[in-house]
Amino acid sequence: MVRIEVDHGLCVGNAMCVATAPGVFAHNENRQSTVVDAAGDPEALVLEAAANCPVSAIRVVEAETGRTLFPPEPGAGS
Amino acid sequence: MIARPYATFARLRERDPVHWNERFGLWVVTGYDPVVWILRHHELFSSAVIRGVEGAPYPPVLPEDAPLFDEVRTFRADQLVEQDRPEHLEQRKTVHSFFTPTAMEGWRPFVRRAVDELLDELRPRGRMNVVTDLAAPLPVRIIARMMGVPREDMDTLRGLADSILHLNRGEPDRLRPLAEGIRGIVEYARPFVEERIRNPGDDLISALARGESDGVFTRHQVLVNTGLMLFAGHETTMNLICNGLRAFIEHPAQWDRLRADPDRFARTATEECLRFDPPVKSTQRIVAQEAELCGKTLSPGERIRWIIAAANRDPSVFEDPDTFDIGRQPNPHLSFGSGIHYCLGVALARMEGQEVFGGLARRFERFALDTDELRYQPSIQFRSIESMPVTW
Repeated sequence: MVRIEVDHGLCVGNAMCVATAPGVFAHNENRQSTVVDAAGDPEALVLEAAANCPVSAIRVVEAETGRTLFPPEPGAGS
Repeated sequence: MIARPYATFARLRERDPVHWNERFGLWVVTGYDPVVWILRHHELFSSAVIRGVEGAPYPPVLPEDAPLFDEVRTFRADQLVEQDRPEHLEQRKTVHSFFTPTAMEGWRPFVRRAVDELLDELRPRGRMNVVTDLAAPLPVRIIARMMGVPREDMDTLRGLADSILHLNRGEPDRLRPLAEGIRGIVEYARPFVEERIRNPGDDLISALARGESDGVFTRHQVLVNTGLMLFAGHETTMNLICNGLRAFIEHPAQWDRLRADPDRFARTATEECLRFDPPVKSTQRIVAQEAELCGKTLSPGERIRWIIAAANRDPSVFEDPDTFDIGRQPNPHLSFGSGIHYCLGVALARMEGQEVFGGLARRFERFALDTDELRYQPSIQFRSIESMPVTW
């Protein structure tokens, strides 16, 4: 299970994530991305959506451990 | 219409935001919501505007230049911007990490230094042509460094970039310089690509070359997209600088506001320049599947032109849309597009805008236009000033 955070200070609503993982992301009334169901798509698609966000607004955390899955932690290698 | 398009765009947006233009045989979409809807439904609207469409070039070209059109089409068909999913995502991923906001921040000191050098050199002169002295040299210098090519190649690259800019122009003989530019960039890039495939570095050509090693690109696609990277960040950034500075010259109170606190306003001012008079006025899609939009039926194969410059002034989204307000927030303009083709170079473009407008505001008290009339390139896509002499 993952926890997904969208930084609304960064999100410009370009909807790349909605196109990639439509079961997880949708737009709110401010035309910004929001998580409707963290389990709505396979984790691989969520990570793909996060990795391809043009403004790097998405953070993905492993719920049980709190470990950041995206973005890669500095020093953790790429 | 080319010099002052905004009144016409506004009329069209009010009367018929999804409009069939009989003369050109295409849909013209001017409302903010319908534009966004189109961009978010990439499955209904294809980006293969060159690749997927047969027929003669438009605007028309000289009959004897017809063979050049095939050459240009072959080049453009391999550009990342022409692809649809799933190929588009795989290809975009090869260069995405190069352009993330975090990666781009690492380039800010270099960009700032490049801006400082240029502006410090210009300042004692008391006059410049914004197009040729500032807006054209800066982006090429930056992208060349990112590509990891030698600094002494700058003039060559600028020449090639200038030729490739004929891509979106209207002159009947445009295919000649364009084809020359295309051959030139492919031949220029070839040895670099060969070398970076053997010895990958952390530059942009290496990122594209890795796409070939990973089986995502053919060699031709790597070469074409190297050309695309050179070109895509060139004219757009030029237009951001020129159109933005024009807006500041015509709105002196906003210029004073920026000068009073450039650190605070450089970011939002750049966004407002992008919204108010966008570098790209409009771009295209082809209908892939039948779609209903604002009571109109769009049929497969039909062309759509969506007008960024009209949507950015839609009063249903922007308060006082014709007011240039450098503190405007939020500012959800569509100048970088939306959806899966959202501008790859967004973080770079923003940074260049912020550094240029901030750098100008820190050094110059007031600019005056040194011409009675600003002329624009006859392009439906780009909002490009031809020549912009200013004094201070």
